[in-house]
Amino acid sequence: MPPVRGSPPPAPLRMRVTPPVHTVGMVVMDVDRMPGAPAAGWDEGSFVPPSGIADVHPAHVRLPPEVIRRWQPLAGNELLERLRVTGRRRPPVDLELVSRLRVDLEGGLAEDRIDGDLPAPVVVTKDRLTAILACEAHQLVTGFGERAPTIAMACGALIDVLFRQLVTVGGIDDPMADGVAALSVDGHHQPLVSWLERLSAADRAELRAEVTRQAEGLQRRWPALEPGWLPRTQEPMRVPLLGGAMELSARVDLAIGRPAVDEGSVAIVEVKSGARRVEHRADLHYYALVETLRSAAPPFVVATYYTRTGELDVEPVTWPLLFAAAHRTAAGAGLLRDQERGADQVRRSSALCARCAALPGVQVGPTPAAAGAIASGASASGASAASPTDADRTAA
Amino acid sequence: MSGPGPLAAALERTRALIAPPSGADLHPERTDARSRLTAALSPLVERLPAGDQVVVTVPTLRQALVDPDRLARPEEPFRWKSAFARRSLGLAVVEACASGRFRAPARAVGPIADEAVAEWERTGWRTFHWEPWLAGLTSGARAMVLADAVGWATGVWSLLDWRSLASDAQVGGAYDQWVSPAPRTIRLKARSEVRVPIPGSDPDTAHEPTSGPRTALVSVSGGCPTPGWADELAYLALVAGLRSTSRPVPARVMGLWPDAGIHRCVEIDAVALDRVTDRVVATVAAVVEARLAAVPAD
Repeated sequence: MPPVRGSPPPAPLRMRVTPPVHTVGMVVMDVDRMPGAPAAGWDEGSFVPPSGIADVHPAHVRLPPEVIRRWQPLAGNELLERLRVTGRRRPPVDLELVSRLRVDLEGGLAEDRIDGDLPAPVVVTKDRLTAILACEAHQLVTGFGERAPTIAMACGALIDVLFRQLVTVGGIDDPMADGVAALSVDGHHQPLVSWLERLSAADRAELRAEVTRQAEGLQRRWPALEPGWLPRTQEPMRVPLLGGAMELSARVDLAIGRPAVDEGSVAIVEVKSGARRVEHRADLHYYALVETLRSAAPPFVVATYYTRTGELDVEPVTWPLLFAAAHRTAAGAGLLRDQERGADQVRRSSALCARCAALPGVQVGPTPAAAGAIASGASASGASAASPTDADRTAA
Repeated sequence: MSGPGPLAAALERTRALIAPPSGADLHPERTDARSRLTAALSPLVERLPAGDQVVVTVPTLRQALVDPDRLARPEEPFRWKSAFARRSLGLAVVEACASGRFRAPARAVGPIADEAVAEWERTGWRTFHWEPWLAGLTSGARAMVLADAVGWATGVWSLLDWRSLASDAQVGGAYDQWVSPAPRTIRLKARSEVRVPIPGSDPDTAHEPTSGPRTALVSVSGGCPTPGWADELAYLALVAGLRSTSRPVPARVMGLWPDAGIHRCVEIDAVALDRVTDRVVATVAAVVEARLAAVPAD
């Protein structure tokens, strides 16, 4: 189908900016969809950036004009208020509940404890958790931190550092140059930086266009954060469990808020450059759990900010949400530990994971732990489904 | 059961840090530790080639415990990274906030970095050593260094109640060092993030050979406490005590792990000094063994 007249060149709209994820995670979240957006064909290749380019959309998606006119991403104080005012009472600081949370988590892990210590703690991260709960075999195939760079990954890494720059110094000069320089300043991203240097001119131009567009959106919409709120970016969080045999690990893009006195005072924001995915909510719940355990106080809100569209998915933190997250984490962490110990040689694959289901020695079907975790996650989402989302709002 | 929240926990932590010491100054124990180290280390390092030296730091103690094979590997040539600059810049930020000059790390970090670079450009003097490196970075890279420092400083800033600390608390400062009089140089190095005088802990100068109040040291680490953390904290007190015999041995060392929101405290007594002295000897022995094993046979 030919491009719509007046549209910009189609290349940026077909950007491969969505990280390749497990097939189970390929469901586009149905909540917080822009009002009136079609369910079919609304995927990574056809998402219309709604801000500032209202007359631009891919040819095969016909948006009703009122949708294009009405929906605008939150910006400035509105965005800030959306984070600060969740519509729910902030969760109280309650040491007894924190203690029960830990007991639940460690109790769930101790039940199927196997003799024999591992030389190093089993490290649980949001990605490992999601992967192993979706498909044990997939986790084995992909390993830990061994992903080959892609344009989507590069876009995500660049947007992460540009967001840090914006929060810390208040501005971005040349998004691509600043981003690459930021990635180069430490050795951690060297493989990605080398990969970027080898990109073809066309791919590089494509990446630059998308990074620039998203960075401009960030600069246009993100408010300056008051230093007194103690904003910190890429905040590392660790929680040792079972006397150090296991470690929950997380790194959040933005944490903001002073230490709590009697109720949750910290907001956690995850920044995503790709498409909205159902597992992002579970990631937020995991962050909320880790922050609660390490600080002995829950954050009052967790949110994902989608730089590609300007959507903000906000979820108030409640104690039921935290307990559900603890059950899910215990289920996944137990599987990870068993896998590292080599205790269970039978690998179960999700039926939706065609690649892994075809591997030798792989049994198709959900693991009991994963089924329980999915149920827990569903109840958590249900508990918080009443929360408003920014997509429900329309610009004044 | 509600509270105490993190803010109240910071207050309690700070009170514990500056609480009166439980025991007397450890001057005789320090003298004993020095003698033991000198006697035990000399024969160990004699086996090394002339000109070799052994530097012991907290990471060395840790490696000897968990990964002794790494002790013989040559160190990578030094190259500035954000991770190296964030501590010293972060400490300067914390100091500026503690002194009341700035109210929050995010507000302080830009001016502090700019002032350091300007001072180096004006005088050539490098207070932090990273000034020329930072001055040469582009805006994107510089922003990452500042962001890392803000994160580090905010973690430290949030875990203590700085208003409760005496105004002469020292944030940052040089390494404590002690060089053993052995045939090959053995240098014990240790650094603390904060040194806090404990109120009312001045020794009785008529009976004690030291002067000045006893201190509490604060050490900041990433991640979670690792096995052997207690000796590693005590090591800071040992080196500080060996370095200056005219000052009291630090009374306690508090470890902060901001990533995990954990703190641990070690009271320095004769047992703690004994244990860490043994660990230093064992570490130097492991370094020597690793180096000798790495030398190819003729």
